[in-house]
Amino acid sequence: MQKKLNSALAEYLIALGDDELILSHRDSEWCGHAPILEEDIAFANLAVDELGHARTWYELAAALLDEEPARFPDHLAYFRDASEWRCVQWVTLPRGDWAFTLLRRYLFDALEVLRLEGLKSSAHAPLAEAAAKILNEERYHLRHGKAWLLRLGLGTEESHRRMQAALDELWPYAAQLFLPLPGEAALAGAGVVPETGGLEAAWREQVEAELKAANLTPPDDFIPVLRPRSQQTEHLMDLLAEMQMVARANPEARW
Amino acid sequence: MYGASVDDIKQDGKAEPERLAEFEARIARGEKIEPGDWMPAEYRKQLIRMISQHAHSEIVGMLPEGAWITRAPSLKRKLILLAKVQDEAGHGQYLYHAAETLGATREEMVEMLLTGAAKYSNIFNYPTLNWADIGTIGWLVDGAAIMNQTMLARCSYGPYSRAMVRICMEENFHKKQGQEQVILLSQGTPAQRRMMQDAITRWWWPTLMMFGPHDTDSPNTPTLVKWGIKTRTNDELRQDFVDQLAPDLMALGLTLPDPDLKYNEETGHWEFGSIDWDEFWRVVKGDGPMNAQRMAARRRAHDDGLWVRQALAAYAEKHGSLN
Amino acid sequence: MPDTQWPRFMVFQQMAPGEPLVHNGTVHAPDIEMALLNGRDVFVRRPRAHAMWVTPVECIFAKTAQELADGTWLAGVQDAGGAEEKYHVFGKLHHLGQLDQLGMVEAASAPMAMKRAIEGFGGKPVLVWWVFPAARTLYSDEAEAESLFQFSESHDFKNQAFYPVITMMRQMRAKGKLED
Repeated sequence: MQKKLNSALAEYLIALGDDELILSHRDSEWCGHAPILEEDIAFANLAVDELGHARTWYELAAALLDEEPARFPDHLAYFRDASEWRCVQWVTLPRGDWAFTLLRRYLFDALEVLRLEGLKSSAHAPLAEAAAKILNEERYHLRHGKAWLLRLGLGTEESHRRMQAALDELWPYAAQLFLPLPGEAALAGAGVVPETGGLEAAWREQVEAELKAANLTPPDDFIPVLRPRSQQTEHLMDLLAEMQMVARANPEARW
Repeated sequence: MYGASVDDIKQDGKAEPERLAEFEARIARGEKIEPGDWMPAEYRKQLIRMISQHAHSEIVGMLPEGAWITRAPSLKRKLILLAKVQDEAGHGQYLYHAAETLGATREEMVEMLLTGAAKYSNIFNYPTLNWADIGTIGWLVDGAAIMNQTMLARCSYGPYSRAMVRICMEENFHKKQGQEQVILLSQGTPAQRRMMQDAITRWWWPTLMMFGPHDTDSPNTPTLVKWGIKTRTNDELRQDFVDQLAPDLMALGLTLPDPDLKYNEETGHWEFGSIDWDEFWRVVKGDGPMNAQRMAARRRAHDDGLWVRQALAAYAEKHGSLN
Repeated sequence: MPDTQWPRFMVFQQMAPGEPLVHNGTVHAPDIEMALLNGRDVFVRRPRAHAMWVTPVECIFAKTAQELADGTWLAGVQDAGGAEEKYHVFGKLHHLGQLDQLGMVEAASAPMAMKRAIEGFGGKPVLVWWVFPAARTLYSDEAEAESLFQFSESHDFKNQAFYPVITMMRQMRAKGKLED
């Protein structure tokens, strides 16, 4: 039984790690290209934090699977094909403009904070401990995101138009965020992780109010993206081709 | 108001030569000149030129390495590189601030970079062609920069000196992570060793050029030395660099692309071949391998960001508090 | 609307509870809330902070020791009366140092605040004085100190001691000698 739970939790953590790593990768694409110098720095901070979170989740998964914690995260990042990744499509979408980048982050961070508040009281102690630490950072990310949401939503006509367009593009993908994660069914019952579907109402209430304050309206006519996490986008394939090129060209090497 | 604009330098009737003598005496005593203190117009001008050039170099310098954040071959290297490129942005930020205390504005300085009126370090006009370039930039390019920056941390202008102290502290990590990479790759798989040698062959000479023209061709140096902005000359720093790096790189089995490089027992220094100054000036004037791409990338970021900057300015006007 | 790199804000940082704040530098930001976030992102890349303040650069009233040397400026400062407010006082005490927090004065104008600062804190030689109104300063919230300034992972890799290159080079040289 415990073994079954362990492997379910490892699957769950790898999916969380995949979300963080791909989002970090997208954020890092701004480094050197942001609209103002201070944001080059801020976005690199976000990307560094998310990369750290991905490593944390992968290392916890390694411990559950009796894999080597020093090598397993790199194996997951660099030697899996797109079909083996379990991130949501949300994080794989290309970085878009600054409005898209900001809004994607803000909406995702709002969910992260809710999920981490659940994970903080996980029955699996190492997970609860890591979640508490990561939560601190995500709270800051959310504060940063909210500040930008308001300013771009209410700034100029152009910034508002771009934010609304980003919201229209992102909103259908939000549905996938609330599908159960791999392994979740067994874990939620054992008090190890919160039910992802159960976070949706609180998320909606919060982000809809904050979007409204920024004069932004979610679209009402759209086809929700409800595909399983095993189904990946072409965007992810392109991203992995770039991310893995050096590592895969020389698989025996140490870096 | 903190920091002066060029027009509001206070005049209290003292004669210029008297003020200049007082100013030079302060520098000789090792005092720092602070915003608000009297300073010769030429001192201000030279500092703005140097500091803004230095800031631009940090900003453009994000590009060659930044291109490899998305290709770093391990999560640890990705994290390190991301933090390093971020530091470059941070250093550009500190330096623009230091120049702003002299009356320059960031708008003007950025404008000068984007129109090509201001220079930045030539080294960033070379391409990064394989992963080993990242270690090489860290050890060689940042190593060379640190020698210059260690000198500038002692310079006579307070805000510049303080920025450099902070920058040097942070840059040491850049150099060490690069050196670690070069050591590992030079002892790694055959493919890693090949990419390492390729990187060293391409970067060695451009790095030596980073120290600038020979002292005999560097017209600003004597004044800068007298006013405590520079304390050592280009050629002195370049020699120190070769003395430090050449034996280390050779100990790793790497070949430096200079047949004239040899140790002189008598002087205790490494002698090296002549630098291709034609190439140096060609790249300074815009005809380097990457000048056009670097500027295009900076302009695009600036232009694409215009609506963002305007939106936040508009929001502040409508909803701002306290300011 | 013309382009702008936004106004400048001074950033002050407290490294640990109970320590005086130090001046860190400036950030550009569209407003003071963003200035605090930018200050955090620019100056806490290496995690070491407990509190942060930001204030618009134009609120800083500054005098250097050189400007005060002959006493004429100070003699000319008049107390014009009016409502008093609190001003923070910072001073640079060493040629190689930053400006440190010295304390607070109450005054009806910045020049009067400067005068009171010099009277109150001038016991030691101060090279540069700054005063700025407390009401125009934004302070990080104590309750948010954790989320603003603490990182979940160690940032050891930003420290040069993380890289054992001296040992590695020594080993390489020893190996080279053996092969000769």
